[in-house]
Amino acid sequence: MKKGIRLAVLIIAAAMMLSVASCKKEEKKAEEKKLLASMATDVGGLGDKSFNDGANQGLELVKEKLGADVKVVESKQQTDYVPNLIGLAEDGSDIVFAVGFLMEQAVKEAAKNNPDTKFAGIDIWAGDGDPSNFMGILYKEHESGYLAGVVAGMMTKEYASASPKFNDKNVVGVVLGMFIPPVEKFEVGFIQGVKSVNPDCKVLSVTTGSFVDQAKGKEAALAMIEQGADIVFQVAGLTGLGVIQACKEKGVAAIGVDVDQSAVAPDTVLTSAVKQIPRTVYLAVEAVKNNTFTGGTKVYGIEDDATGISPFHEFESVVPQAVKDKVAQVTADMKAGKIKIETTRAALGM
Amino acid sequence: MSFLMFLNTDLLVATVRLSTPITLAALGATVCERAGVVNIAMEGIMIIGAFFAAVTAFYTGNPWLGLASGVLAGGIYSLIHAAAAISLHLDHVVSGAVLNILAFGITRYLMVLFFGHPGTSDAIPSFLGDYQFAVPLLSKIPVLGPVFFNQTPIIYISFILVIFLAWFLKHTRTGLHIRAAGEHPLALETIGVSVYKIKYLAVFISGLASGLAGAYLSIENNVSFTEGMTNGKGFIALAAMISGGWSAAGSFLSALFFGFADALQIRFQVFRIFHVPEELFIIFPYAATIIAVAGFVRRSRPPKADGVDFIIEKENE
Repeated sequence: MKKGIRLAVLIIAAAMMLSVASCKKEEKKAEEKKLLASMATDVGGLGDKSFNDGANQGLELVKEKLGADVKVVESKQQTDYVPNLIGLAEDGSDIVFAVGFLMEQAVKEAAKNNPDTKFAGIDIWAGDGDPSNFMGILYKEHESGYLAGVVAGMMTKEYASASPKFNDKNVVGVVLGMFIPPVEKFEVGFIQGVKSVNPDCKVLSVTTGSFVDQAKGKEAALAMIEQGADIVFQVAGLTGLGVIQACKEKGVAAIGVDVDQSAVAPDTVLTSAVKQIPRTVYLAVEAVKNNTFTGGTKVYGIEDDATGISPFHEFESVVPQAVKDKVAQVTADMKAGKIKIETTRAALGM
Repeated sequence: MSFLMFLNTDLLVATVRLSTPITLAALGATVCERAGVVNIAMEGIMIIGAFFAAVTAFYTGNPWLGLASGVLAGGIYSLIHAAAAISLHLDHVVSGAVLNILAFGITRYLMVLFFGHPGTSDAIPSFLGDYQFAVPLLSKIPVLGPVFFNQTPIIYISFILVIFLAWFLKHTRTGLHIRAAGEHPLALETIGVSVYKIKYLAVFISGLASGLAGAYLSIENNVSFTEGMTNGKGFIALAAMISGGWSAAGSFLSALFFGFADALQIRFQVFRIFHVPEELFIIFPYAATIIAVAGFVRRSRPPKADGVDFIIEKENE
């Protein structure tokens, strides 16, 4: 046992030395003082194939294009948030990202206590009373959801004959993880999108209460499929992998979330309602570099190419041109501000 | 459309699917506690089992090897609990808690080692869900046929285990020894049976069962391992064992009840029967757990020496 621990410690130490060594090498190449951009994940951690990974990709982009140093720490539990964020600030970060709605209190506290460091929060709102060195980054998830809803609404009824995956029941479903604002926006956007092209369509909805419980996601999707749902939109993080699995087993279509999830099950994932977190992370770091960083909330939407749906991949030939045209038209209308989308269930009277 | 249209066979099939991991872990815990070793580590053992099942299935492409490796990993991991609680006389609850926390750390570390990233593993090429089969004739019985006789392999194994363990604990010599170790270990030692060995065996069996529960989650119900995918099922299993009165059949029935509560709340949401915040649906299975434990536990009695440290003092050594 002791030997094992010693070995593990040695391996970790060696790995750390290597990573430090590789950083040093890069430093020699660059002549000016390097920017340090860092992030702390929420408890989901790296590998969530969702916003933590998205923010990390943003930092990779920063490293590559701006030549900045980057640093990532993972939070194991909610009590890690504040120490992780403050630790990154004390390490000399120029900007620290907090990833996820659940880190709101922590990042605002850290920003207050470290006025010389810039902070940014993904999916976090910055209000009037918040420190000026904090930038909240929000997305118009309802736009992505709406576009996914347009596709689902048309495919489940009008073009149901395009693939044996669809039936004539005119039912679609949404599986949610925890019920938090970004998730809610995806859902209500989706419902409005479906109804805009297919007012009679029944949209089922289940909240699982977890972002990691695949078994529960699967059961939620199966319960919907039993009721005739032929397209299920997952807004449930890793719980959603169970949703996609259920759709695959039952031969119906799924819609992914946050990132293009086609690779999870290419024959099942119709499209994904995405948000381009990497790009917005990049923009925030660029602002720091150019001294144009300002506090307050920055909301990214379709006009910044930050929201939308992913390509259809294997469904490219299944989805008829009429649907693609409709998506293009709705996208243009959204950019022109012609479509008003509600963002809460309350506004829909749910 | 009737108000009660969700009360159908699908609900019962979902109940069985949702209760299987709970049943398996609760069965293991029953054996363990009947031998006098408190086990709250099912959550951690399940996550270990789920991980090794997925890794093996991923690299070999054979889900049956994954199944074997998940079960074995659970058994081996549980031996830490056995060593700590039996040989080193550590408090059983403390050791169990440590095992739960350790499992999350270990799997996170190993995820990076095996898959290059934390979070969720890559999808396994073939999974046990493909091996669903209907038992001839029996599966034709209305309602109960599809529920019990048209399922996937680990679900069948869980049914067999319920019957086997109920018989094993009552009618075999080893089974009686296990129960004696939990009721009156000194008596057992007096007739020349090593209490330590019996306890080790019981903990190991519980580890195998929890490992199987984990394998069910990662390679039969789904096709990948996700950190934290047990999501409290190990603790619900603990409640199932307690409200099931420390018996195999009782644990199975309680687990079915919890699975039923979960399947039901999902259908409440699908059918939008009650217009209440979803949090109320989500807590429904857990609230049912509390009520069941509070309601039934008075009538169920733990083994007399459950969690009591057993030290043999040998003189002239």
